[in-house]
Amino acid sequence: MSKITTSSTAEYFAKNLQQVGFSSPVKAVLTTLKESVDNSLDACEEGKILPELSVSVRKVGTGGSRSTDLVEIVVEDNGPGIETEDLSKVFGEYLASSKFGRGQCSRGQQGIGISAATTWAQLTNASGVKVISKTSRMKKAVRATVDVDIKANKGVLKNKETFDWDRPHGTRVEFRIDGRVQLNGDGGLITYLDGTTLVNPHLHLRYKLLDADWSDVPRVTEEVPQVPPPTLPHPHTMKLGEFMTHAALYGRITLEKFLRKGFSRVTDQTLKELVKNGLPKTHLSKSLTQISEQDYKKIFQAIQNTEMSSPSTRSVLTVGEEGLSKSIQRLGEVDFFSVVTRRPRICDFKPVVVEVAIARFINRASDSQESPVQLLRFANRVPLQFDKAACAITKAVESVNWRSYGLNQPKNSLPLGPYVFAVSVTSPFIKFKNASKETIDASDELVEEIRRSLMQAGQKLSRHIRREDKAADLERKLQHIEKFAPILVEGLARIVKAPESRKQRAQEGLKRLLGRDAEAVEEELQTAESRLAELKAKQGELIGEAEEAAPEEVVASTKKAASGTQKKAGTKKVSAAKKAAATKKMAGTKKATAASGTRKKA
Amino acid sequence: MAKQANPIRIRKLNKDIPKISKDLCDAMLKDLEKGERPVLEAIKCSLDNSIYNPKVGYLTPGEKVVRTELNVSSVQKMARTVFMLEVLLGNLESGAVNTKRELYYMAKGLVKSNQVLRPLDFGDQPESDAVIDFICDMLEVYREEMNCFANDRGGQTYSKQLVVTETLSDGTTANVDLSTLGTTPFQPKNKPQQFKLKAKKKIDFCLVIESEGTANTLVSNGFTQRNNCILVGAQGVPSNGVRGWCKTIQDQLKIPIYFYGDLDAYTLQNIFRTLKAGSAASLIRNSDFSAPDVKFLGVLPEDVKKYDLDCYDVSERDTSEARALKKAKDALENDPFFKDKKNKRLADILRWLVKEKIRCEQQAVFSVNPKDPLMPEKIILEKIKRGAYV
Repeated sequence: MSKITTSSTAEYFAKNLQQVGFSSPVKAVLTTLKESVDNSLDACEEGKILPELSVSVRKVGTGGSRSTDLVEIVVEDNGPGIETEDLSKVFGEYLASSKFGRGQCSRGQQGIGISAATTWAQLTNASGVKVISKTSRMKKAVRATVDVDIKANKGVLKNKETFDWDRPHGTRVEFRIDGRVQLNGDGGLITYLDGTTLVNPHLHLRYKLLDADWSDVPRVTEEVPQVPPPTLPHPHTMKLGEFMTHAALYGRITLEKFLRKGFSRVTDQTLKELVKNGLPKTHLSKSLTQISEQDYKKIFQAIQNTEMSSPSTRSVLTVGEEGLSKSIQRLGEVDFFSVVTRRPRICDFKPVVVEVAIARFINRASDSQESPVQLLRFANRVPLQFDKAACAITKAVESVNWRSYGLNQPKNSLPLGPYVFAVSVTSPFIKFKNASKETIDASDELVEEIRRSLMQAGQKLSRHIRREDKAADLERKLQHIEKFAPILVEGLARIVKAPESRKQRAQEGLKRLLGRDAEAVEEELQTAESRLAELKAKQGELIGEAEEAAPEEVVASTKKAASGTQKKAGTKKVSAAKKAAATKKMAGTKKATAASGTRKKA
Repeated sequence: MAKQANPIRIRKLNKDIPKISKDLCDAMLKDLEKGERPVLEAIKCSLDNSIYNPKVGYLTPGEKVVRTELNVSSVQKMARTVFMLEVLLGNLESGAVNTKRELYYMAKGLVKSNQVLRPLDFGDQPESDAVIDFICDMLEVYREEMNCFANDRGGQTYSKQLVVTETLSDGTTANVDLSTLGTTPFQPKNKPQQFKLKAKKKIDFCLVIESEGTANTLVSNGFTQRNNCILVGAQGVPSNGVRGWCKTIQDQLKIPIYFYGDLDAYTLQNIFRTLKAGSAASLIRNSDFSAPDVKFLGVLPEDVKKYDLDCYDVSERDTSEARALKKAKDALENDPFFKDKKNKRLADILRWLVKEKIRCEQQAVFSVNPKDPLMPEKIILEKIKRGAYV
């Protein structure tokens, strides 16, 4: 029989880095950047600091493995910094985390990602991560290289030195890894940075990718998001094994105390109900250490059979409609957008909040109407860029009937059009399908909640599309009048050999008739326009544009909201001008017809 | 072009087409002068407006009409209608005759030479065909009466007794004795109603065969030598020419007409029903383009058993066959022809086909005795003699 050995966690991950986002050279670069940025943003939030991040990605040579480059990724933040003694743990030890299972909406959850990035750097370039860190307590910054001792799952600090850093606190990480840089598309770095910018309105980001110049994306809000305090688990979210492990953490306290302290939503009434549902009352006063496995099973079953109020939704964090509205403006010149932040809900006994932003950017509007919308997915404010198909967000988008909101949509697919759909799911207990956090598990309740948010955003979107349709309809109808009216009258007049005076009268009569039709369409257009204007006015308020020198349309719509008559008069003017132009054109055509008629006769 | 001395006539028409057209246009112009919306009305040519009276024998229009009122959306259709009407009236005036395709190109030519007319340009022939059909339905006249003739196919006719006299547009006549043509067929094309038919010797029956190939085989094997008959190849769904030709034979010679084709839903509905009672799409012309006396000689369900004929299963996975089955079910519920008790036996055959989901081809009779080339003829004659037709 072969010898049975045990391996360290680090050994396991070193051999299975593909499970945590290092399955290809492209993904390796993105995952390393993502883990570094996530850590920086989480640290700033914890330290209540407005984040200033500087990101640089460049090629510095040829990679060790075939068809890869040696890529340098540098992320620098103004966060609270890391104490010297913690550096090796943070960057070199797996599952060493301050966030594991604590029930908070932080980006990082397990303490795997950044250690995996260090391992990847070590495996592909024989050197771990170069770190500079300074906390406000430190007089000098510390500079060191952290490696992973794979056999022992420990971080090793090398080449440590101190120096004067021109800032009070912060962290700088520098990875050199084998990888390939992809800028655009689903797995692209720009897509990642755009997404991160969108859901972090408080972030000031500077970045330089490859040979491009530095880009500067200033923050749009001065408020650091208040990450709600951790929440205790709800008894219904646990399995028997988890329940027993959880109990083991509490030592020698009584079962009653454990249920009250270790869980949320356990009240006096709950305890009474538990007893009614088969929990022996004597057990409540027993110490946890005295309870047998059989008894644990009974207790667990009683818990499952007892109805309890849903967990609190206070532990979820939202970006907010205002933040999203402002943030979306940073991604490009927006032609139209709608944002929806739902109230926190309970899905699968876990508090969840869904936020949706739909936008059309002016520079992207010329893209083909036939290609699917760009879907940006976020979980706890981290962009998800791979394995789209299995994700709850994708499933929800595909399940909505977008045709009813005016978008084209092949059956069971993403809708088509030059739009960006951003969907963010935030929860202290988000359920991913894999350790690399690329896909949110698609439970029916969660998909339904996302679907509802999308439908709300879709209703706003439809106002925009309807206005465009009506405008196109009016244009087409005005063109129709212009083109066909003179031909019809000329044809009739030729057949009945009518004199010029009859022709003139008929022309005028026809113009009146069709003008009335066009007016009806114009009225529909006006209604659609004013509904959209109302929406835009609200959005204008959200992004604070109403008072500033805002785009003409938003100002107009805001004014309209203030005074309906004023807007109406304005629109009338426009429509009158339009009609005058159409009439002028008609008159022109008429002349041409008459001329051609004469030519024909001659 | 000089006006024809003797234009082609399909029926005695008491309508002055140029006059009613001008009156219609005048009324439209008057409406426009008053600032009112002109309305064009045409008979609705569809199954839900079809009436079948067994005494009449063909589908006639009901009271439903298609109304087109002038508005921004219909102004294009109206302008195109008036434009095409002008072209057709020009043809009537000059006596020129055209096919629909030629008219399509003429319209394109007129548009090309006149910048103002450019918006009227037809993208494809079906667009101009629809306008021509609308004009005919509106004026309740045949396309042929507007000097527009289809490039009709089918109708290849063989007989040793039939003589056809055609009066030409210049007033002269041409006599065609079909017995002199050998195995070459006479084809009535698109103006059969103007022929005068004469039988040199008593003609016993007319046999219309769905497949022109099988009709030709029978003639080659001497069918018309041995029988005093007229043999016609329909070549699939009967064209206007074939329909008018059968009607002319029925009316002038008053002889029994039998149809022989496949035993399937498509043949029964689209080929035989159209030959016998016309179609829903041609409600206004069925009176001159259907032969209500024609009988369905086969293949009958009983023939399948009697002669042990080979059949095919109809697969509902095949889209065209599934569609034909669905249409057959619809016909049993909605087609006034199959709903009428006079045609109960035909409806029974359709019902049988829907239930059994099989089809038997007309050529299956060649399997009865492959060594006897005259077997199909014997079976057909035996069936006529026995009265085994519907």
